[in-house]
Amino acid sequence: MTDQSPGGAPEPTATGVDDHEPLLALRDVTLRFGGVTALDGVSLEIAPGELHAVIGPNGAGKTSIFNCINGVYRPQVGSITFDGHELIGQRPARIARLGVARTFQNLGLFVALSVVDNLMLGRHHLMRTGFVSGALWWGRARREEIEHREAVERIVELLELEAHRHRPAGLLPYGLQKRLELGRALAMEPKLLLLDEPVAGMNLEETEDMARYLMQVRRELDLAMLLVEHEMHLVMDLADRVTALDFGRRLASGTPAEVQADEQVIQAYLGGAA
Amino acid sequence: MRDLRSLLRGRRDGPAAGLHRSHRDAVRLWGTPWARFGLVLLVAGWALVPQFVTDDFWLSVLNYAGIAAVAALGLNLLTGYTGQISLGHAVFLGVGAYAAAQIGEGGDIPIVVWLPAAALIGGLVGAIIGPFALRLRGNYLVIVTLGLVFIAEHVFRNLKDITGGNTGTPVSASPSIGSFDVTDLSFAGQSYSREQGWFWLIWAIVALTALMTKNIVRTRPGRAIQAIRDRDLAAEVVGIEIGRHKIWVFAISSAFAAAAGALYGSYQEYVSPDEWNLFLSIQYIAIIIVGGVGTVFGTILGALFIGALPSVIEEYSDSIPGVAAKAGDSGISVYSLNQAIFGVLIVAFLLLEPRGLAAIWLRVKTYFRTWPFRY
Repeated sequence: MTDQSPGGAPEPTATGVDDHEPLLALRDVTLRFGGVTALDGVSLEIAPGELHAVIGPNGAGKTSIFNCINGVYRPQVGSITFDGHELIGQRPARIARLGVARTFQNLGLFVALSVVDNLMLGRHHLMRTGFVSGALWWGRARREEIEHREAVERIVELLELEAHRHRPAGLLPYGLQKRLELGRALAMEPKLLLLDEPVAGMNLEETEDMARYLMQVRRELDLAMLLVEHEMHLVMDLADRVTALDFGRRLASGTPAEVQADEQVIQAYLGGAA
Repeated sequence: MRDLRSLLRGRRDGPAAGLHRSHRDAVRLWGTPWARFGLVLLVAGWALVPQFVTDDFWLSVLNYAGIAAVAALGLNLLTGYTGQISLGHAVFLGVGAYAAAQIGEGGDIPIVVWLPAAALIGGLVGAIIGPFALRLRGNYLVIVTLGLVFIAEHVFRNLKDITGGNTGTPVSASPSIGSFDVTDLSFAGQSYSREQGWFWLIWAIVALTALMTKNIVRTRPGRAIQAIRDRDLAAEVVGIEIGRHKIWVFAISSAFAAAAGALYGSYQEYVSPDEWNLFLSIQYIAIIIVGGVGTVFGTILGALFIGALPSVIEEYSDSIPGVAAKAGDSGISVYSLNQAIFGVLIVAFLLLEPRGLAAIWLRVKTYFRTWPFRY
C-alpha cells in the first residue's frame, strides 16, 4: 500500500497497526436472531487512525457488526471493547457519547430539518443546554448555539455544503444526503466512524466525490474508520486492512491485496460450487 | 495531521462564511429589519386592540382564543415537534384549572404564584403519566391518551373535595398582584373594563409562551425532539436520550396546558368536569392542524381561528339557517355544528393544506419578498 500522507506523518499501515493498543476490538462476537446466526464468533481489531473495511456478500453480517458496535443489537456472546469501555449492553446514546459515530446504509437524516440543524444535531452530545435554559435563551444556551454553529460551519466548508445550509435535508439530492450524513457523523467529533455503504446507489460522479471527501477526511483528521462497502474499487483504494465475512463468519483478514487473493474470499464471491 | 477537535474548535482566520452575517446574527430571532417591523406591529396590536375593540363579546372571543393558544403551543411541542399524537391534552387543562382553584382560593394569592404553581403541578402530573404513555408510539399512544381522558373525567367527577363533583367548583384565583388587579385597571385618568384587562394579560402570556416555545425549538433540546420525530433510531445514534426527551416534552406540554386551564378557570371564575372532555382535546388537535403542525406562529393563528369559531357561530346562530338558536327550536344544535365544523376543517386541511395557515402565510410572504418575480 502506498503512503498518501502529505505532511510526512506516517499513515498507519498493516504492520504499524499491531504496535498500537487497538481502539476497537471485537472478540468472538456471536449474534443470533432466534435460529438464525447473523454473526458467528467474529473477531476484529481497529487501531487508532486505521481505515478498516468489511466486505462480504449480501447477508454476510456486515451491517450487523455496526449494529452491535453502536448498541442497536446486543450480541449473545463475546465482547466489544472501545477505548477501554465494554460496549455490549450500553445504549446507543451512551456509545455515541463515548466517541462512535455512524452513517446508515439507507440514510438516517432528519428530513424535515435543515442541513445546519442536522449538523448541529451531530453536536448534541457536546452541548449541555436543556429544556429550561433553552426556553429562557439565557447565557449558556445562546453562547453554545453560536459556538457550535461555528464548528458546524467548518463541516459545511469541508464538505462543500455552502449552497444548501438552510434547505431541508429531505429535499437534497441523494448524493448530497449521503455527504450530509457523513458531515453529521464528523460533527460528533468521534474517535471511530462507522460508514455503512457510503457510496451505495451512487453514480460514478457521486462515488468519486464521496471517495475524495473520505480521503480528505483521512488526510486531515486523525480518525479511525470502519467501512462496509460493496464497491470493491473504493475498498481496495482506501482501506488499510480488510476483513471478509460470509454467513456471519470471518473468512479472511489482512491487507487489501492479501484478502483479494484469498481462496475462500474468491469462492464466497464467485459461488461455492468450484 | 490535524485532529477533528482542532479543526472544529481552533481559531479561524478571515471572515466567517456567510459574508455579511455572523453567527451571532444568524441566531437572532428578530434578525432582519422586516422581522423587527413585524415585532413592533405585534406589540402595537397588543396594546391597541382593547382600545378599539371595546365590545365585551369580541374581547371575550379574543381572550378565549388566547387561552387556547397557550395550551395549543404545548400540544404543538408534543405533536408537531416531537411527533407524539396525544388526545389527552384536555386532562391537563383540567388539572391546571383545579390547581388554580385550590391554590388561589380566596383571591388573595397573587397570579405570579398561582399561575406558575398550576403549570408546575400540570407538568409534574405529565411527568408522572409520561413514562407510561410514551413507551408507546403512533396509534397506540393515541389510544392510551384517549383512555386517559375517560379516566380523568371519572376522577374529576368523583374527587368532590377538589373538583366539586358534577356541579363543578368556583375558581376564585384572581389575576392580581396585591392591589394591582388586571380586571380593574385605570391609568392616565382612564379606567378599563374587566375584558380589556384580561386581554392584555392573556396575550402577554401568549407572547411569553410563544417565545419560550420558539427558544426551545431553536436550541439543543428542540432540535433533539424534532430528530426523534423524523428518525428515532438515528437520533439515538447521535447521542440523544429518547425517553428522557419525550418525558420532558410531555411534561412541558402538560405544563402549558395546565397554565391555560388555570387562566381559563380564573377568567370564567367557574369550571365543571364537563369541560375537559374528548371534544376539547380534538379542538386542540384541530388548532395545530389548521394553524400548521410544527410552527409557533401557525399555532397562534390556528387558536384565533378555531378558538373564535364556536363563539362566532353561537353569536350568529339565529341567522344561520338550520341551526337551533334556542332549546326547543328545530335544527342542529350549536354544539353539534361546532363539532361537525372541526371535523370538516381537520379533514379539509389535512387533504388540501397539510401545513396549515402558516404555509399560506409563508406563501404570501414569499410572494411579496420576491416580487415582481414569480419564484
